[in-house]
Amino acid sequence: MIMNRRSLLTTALTLGAMKAFPGLSFAQARPLVFATFTGSWEEAHKAVLVPAFRKANADAAIVLDPMLSVDQIAKVNAAKANPPIDVMLHDPGPALIAIGQDLVEPYPVEKSVHYKDLIAEAQEPMGPAPFFQVVGLTYNPEAVKTPPTSWADLWKPEFKGRVGITNLNSTLGTGWLVEIAKMRGGSEANVDPAFKALEELKPNLAAVAANPGALATLFQQGQIDISPGNFNAIQILKARGVPVEFVAPKEGAIAFKTTIHIVKNSPNRELAFKLIEAALTPEVQTTLMNPPYLIVPTNSKVTMGGEIARVLAKDTAELKKKFVFQDWKKINEQRSAWIERFNREIKI
Amino acid sequence: MGTAPASRDVTSYGMGLAAPLALFFLLFFVAPLLQLFWLSLHNDTAGLHWGLGQYLHFLTDPFSLGVLGSTLLLGAEVTAVCLVLGFPIAWLYQRVGPKLQTIIILIVLLPLLTSVVVRTFAWIVILGRQGIINATLQSLGIIDTPLKLLYTQFGVVIALAQVQMPLMTLPLITALGRIEPNLDDASCSLGAGSWRTFFRVVLPLSLPGVIAGCTLTYAAAITAFITLSLVGGGQMLFMPMYLYQQASTLQNWPFAAAISIIFLLAVLAVVSVFTTLGRLSRGHGGA
Repeated sequence: MIMNRRSLLTTALTLGAMKAFPGLSFAQARPLVFATFTGSWEEAHKAVLVPAFRKANADAAIVLDPMLSVDQIAKVNAAKANPPIDVMLHDPGPALIAIGQDLVEPYPVEKSVHYKDLIAEAQEPMGPAPFFQVVGLTYNPEAVKTPPTSWADLWKPEFKGRVGITNLNSTLGTGWLVEIAKMRGGSEANVDPAFKALEELKPNLAAVAANPGALATLFQQGQIDISPGNFNAIQILKARGVPVEFVAPKEGAIAFKTTIHIVKNSPNRELAFKLIEAALTPEVQTTLMNPPYLIVPTNSKVTMGGEIARVLAKDTAELKKKFVFQDWKKINEQRSAWIERFNREIKI
Repeated sequence: MGTAPASRDVTSYGMGLAAPLALFFLLFFVAPLLQLFWLSLHNDTAGLHWGLGQYLHFLTDPFSLGVLGSTLLLGAEVTAVCLVLGFPIAWLYQRVGPKLQTIIILIVLLPLLTSVVVRTFAWIVILGRQGIINATLQSLGIIDTPLKLLYTQFGVVIALAQVQMPLMTLPLITALGRIEPNLDDASCSLGAGSWRTFFRVVLPLSLPGVIAGCTLTYAAAITAFITLSLVGGGQMLFMPMYLYQQASTLQNWPFAAAISIIFLLAVLAVVSVFTTLGRLSRGHGGA
């Protein structure tokens, strides 16, 4: 996801204006505002989730306002009393920040019909996970004849100058670093082994991309042949005919819980709850699991099928076995120090 | 026709005309800037404790100073490339016929007609491992393995130079157009060669354009977030990415604010060096 100068400027201006004139954002009846992510998430939500929600709620008015997690937090933070967003969507790191800054409401679990059907990892009382993002190994099958099986394969001498990674600004980059640390005897609290491993990876590194989107496009240019990658980002490229495949490493694919939250002080609390309920239904999750979306479901009543069953898991039990969930509370404690260290040490 | 109204000095002007824009700037530029400065004077991320800690942190940290230094240097490199490549085009523009002039101005303006993202992506295609440059060199047998061009400082400078070129060429064209053409002939008839004429007459007279072009190119080059991140990649850290990282990923707003202020002052310093140089050499040229 790229943030351009203009959107940065707009955010900055908005923030400034709203702070200077709190009256600008006066409370009034407005449609439900759902801040989804940009790109394929927005498309999926517009095509599937929004119609399902409107059908179940007498055509209630809803607006999608796609933006990055960090921007959602900034916007809500700037107007805590009258938040411009009702429903936020977050990666695990930003979710904890939003909860820590007291920006979200606990999910009314006792009122929810579907919450109890979610697999245990998706049941988050501050905001459930309607889907997972999965990170594994992505490779170009035309250049890499034997599919990789382990994170350790990235260090193979045959991939000299062919490996791509992202820096730690992204959830993907940070999550991957933690997984490498675990592989080498470290943990969420100790990533020293991962930094040592990165040092050894340098001869193989062709690119350190600024974000996961930029990383995925490097396959298109033949700049890299193998990298840690996001399952959904790869599907978009595959659909466009780029030779790229996803495989879950034997250490387990990293699953990020993408959680959905009711914003504190939202004037549309009830509708926000209804939207999240819609996102948790087996019907919506099944549609989103099918092509072209291929979004990994969290409701245990959804029967896995298609590409997800083939590449990731046939059912919830296998999914739990093959997926690795990370402790982002621990990760967040030291993440800024890691980013600082990555800035200094990784120069290729 | 009756009596004319009390004669007014037609050269007088009212500052009121500037009021709408001034108000706009005050609201949407000066006020946020002051807010940014206020935020940067806090030692903690919540903005509760006053102090100069953020500035101390930046100014005593060799790594941060390195990022600042390499960003300023990058701007200088891009500006130099733009000046060296842009000046001949601007010079040529003033000497060719109207038909060629139209073609030149079209070529100069063309980059401005496409978005920066598109232009930058084109550079990814050109510089990539299987990109145009590598493919050509390989098919000519000059190199065996593709050169690494993307995600290098060289790639960033080239891409930025192309993206920012109009900002240099347009002021140069204007400045060169204002020079009295007879001066060239006068210089020649007084016995100066073409190089002497260029360095003693054309260049000093075009300095206002050079300064304007350099200032615009420099400021645009070092703040080009998109091009820097797409062509430079994630491991080449320049100020815009450093700022974004601190503000967005780490939510460390006071430090990000301090970085912005320092960056702003550094750029202002460089720009004022440009203008001072311009003034000095203008004095020299006129002597």
